[in-house]
Amino acid sequence: MMRASFRWTRFGMGALLFALYVFLYAPVFYVIYASFAEDIVWPFPPAFSALSYGDLFASSLYGDALWNSLLLGIGSAVLSTVLATGGAIGILRYRARWRGLALLLFLAPLFVADLLIGISTLAFNARVLDLPGNIYSAIAANAIPGTSFAFLIILSQLVRYDWAMDDAAMVFGAGPVRCFLEITLPIIWPCIFGAFLISFILAFNNLEISFYNLGAIPTLPSVAWGSLRFGLGPELFALAAIVNFAVFAIFAVMYILMRYRIVQFGYRGP
Amino acid sequence: MAGNNWIRRAHRPQWRFAFLAGPGALFVVVALLLPLLSIVVFSFWRTESYELYADWNLDNYRALLSEPAYRIFFLRSLVMAAAVALTCLVIAWPIAYFIARHGGRYRLLLVLLLAAPFFTGIILRVTGLQSLFGPIGLVNMALGVFGVAPIGVLMYTPVAAGIGLVYLYVPFMVTAIYLSLVNFNFELLEVAKINGARPWRAFIEITWPLNWIGTAIGLVLVFIPCLASAVTQRFLGGPNATSFGMSLAQQFGETGTWALGSAMGVLLFVASLLVILAMRRTIDLKRSGFTGVIGG
Repeated sequence: MMRASFRWTRFGMGALLFALYVFLYAPVFYVIYASFAEDIVWPFPPAFSALSYGDLFASSLYGDALWNSLLLGIGSAVLSTVLATGGAIGILRYRARWRGLALLLFLAPLFVADLLIGISTLAFNARVLDLPGNIYSAIAANAIPGTSFAFLIILSQLVRYDWAMDDAAMVFGAGPVRCFLEITLPIIWPCIFGAFLISFILAFNNLEISFYNLGAIPTLPSVAWGSLRFGLGPELFALAAIVNFAVFAIFAVMYILMRYRIVQFGYRGP
Repeated sequence: MAGNNWIRRAHRPQWRFAFLAGPGALFVVVALLLPLLSIVVFSFWRTESYELYADWNLDNYRALLSEPAYRIFFLRSLVMAAAVALTCLVIAWPIAYFIARHGGRYRLLLVLLLAAPFFTGIILRVTGLQSLFGPIGLVNMALGVFGVAPIGVLMYTPVAAGIGLVYLYVPFMVTAIYLSLVNFNFELLEVAKINGARPWRAFIEITWPLNWIGTAIGLVLVFIPCLASAVTQRFLGGPNATSFGMSLAQQFGETGTWALGSAMGVLLFVASLLVILAMRRTIDLKRSGFTGVIGG
C-alpha cells in the first residue's frame, strides 16, 4: 500500500518535470520551426524554406553578433569561474577573520537585479570613468552575477569535500598548486564545469546588462532587441536554431558519456 | 631575511585566504558596489537635457513619492514578483525533489536541460511564447478553428506577463532547491519512517526546514529580477502591466532623465534589500545543515 503510493508520487513528480520541459522548450522549438518556415509571422500551415538561412550567411551583422556574444560569454565565464573557485575554496577551507564579509560579497550580486547592474555600471562608466560602451566593461559587468552563480554552484558541491585529503598530500610534500591540480580538481571538476557553463549561458544571452554596457557593439540579444521595431528578422530565428542544434549536440554527447559511464560528472553511486 | 619573512607569512592561512577569496571580493566591490554608490549619488543630482548636474536636491525622491503613477507601477511590480515567486516555489519543489532523489546518474544532465533554453535569448523565447499562447498564437487560433472562444486571459494581460515570468525564472528556483537537496541526507527520512512518521509529517518536519536556506535563496533569486523586470511585461502584459522596471529603463533610454532613474534604481535596491533582510530573519542556521560553512 505504502509502496504503491510512493510509486505514484514519484510518477507524478516525474510527469511534472516532463511537463515543465515541454513548457520550457515549446517556444524554443517554435523558434526552430519558424526558422524553416516561408512566412515567419504566421508559419501555419507549414511551408518550408531555407531562405532565412541563406539570408543569415549573406549578412555580416549576425556573424559579428554571434562572435561578440561568444566572446562575452567565454570571457565572463572564465572570469566568474576563476574568481568563484578561489572564493569557494578560501571560504570553506580557512577560518579567516573576514570570512563572513567575503561570503556576503560573493553572494551580494544575486540580490541585485540585472537591470540595476546594467544601469549602475552604465552610469559609473559613462559619468565617473568617462568610458564609452565597450566589450570589456560588458564582460566585467556580466561576470558580476556570473561570479555569484558560479560561487553558489561550487560552494554547494564543495561543502561535502574532505580537506583531510589535501592535508595528507601536503604532509607528503605537495605544494598548494600541485595539491589543487592533482587532488582537488579531479574531484570537483564537474561542478566547476557546471559553474562555467551556467555563467557562460547567462552572459551569452544577457540582454539587460549587455545592452547598457556595449553601446553600439552588436550581440545576439541586442540585435534582437534592436530589430524589434521592424519585426524580428527571420535570420535571428535561423541563428537561434543553429545555436540550439549545437547545444542539443553537446547534451547528446553528455548523455552518451553518462549512459556508458565513460564520464560520471560527479555522480558517485546512490 | 626580510624576504624569508614574507615567504613564511604567505603560507599563513590568513594570507592564503586573502589570496584565494580576495580577488573575487575586490571584484564585487569595484564592479558592483562602486557603480551602485554612484547611482545613489546621482539620485540626489539633477538632469537637464540629457546632462547630469551636481546640485544636491531631493526632487527626484519627491517626484517618486508624490506621482501616483510611480506608486502604481511599484505596487504592481511588487504584487507580480510575489505571485511569480510563490508560483515558481510550488512548481519547483516536486521537480527538484524528483531530480535529486530519482535522477540517478543523469541528475546533472536533467538540471542542465532546465538551463538550456537560456541559450535562446529572452526576446526570442518571449516572442515564441507569444506566438504559441498569444492572441493570434497557435493555441487560440486552434481553439478558433474548433469554434471555441479564445482564452482571454492569455491576451496582453498581467496574467500573461506573470506566466511569461514564471517561464523565465522557474529554472532558477528548481536549481536552488536542487542544490540544497543534493546535500540533504535522505536517510533522515528513513529514520523518521522507522519512528512512525507519515511521509507528509516527515516532509514538514525534516525535509522542508532542513532545505529552507536553498528554498529561501530560490525565492529571492526569482523575486528580485521579477521586481525589476521590464521586457516581459512590455511584450506580454499589454497596457495594464507597465512595470516599475519599464519606467526605470525609460529614464535611462528615451527620456534621458538619469537622476530620476537613479532614484528609482535606489528605491528598487532598497526594496530588494528589505525583502532579503526579511528572508534572512526566517533562516535559522542551527536548523539548516549549513552550520559548518558559515559558523566561525
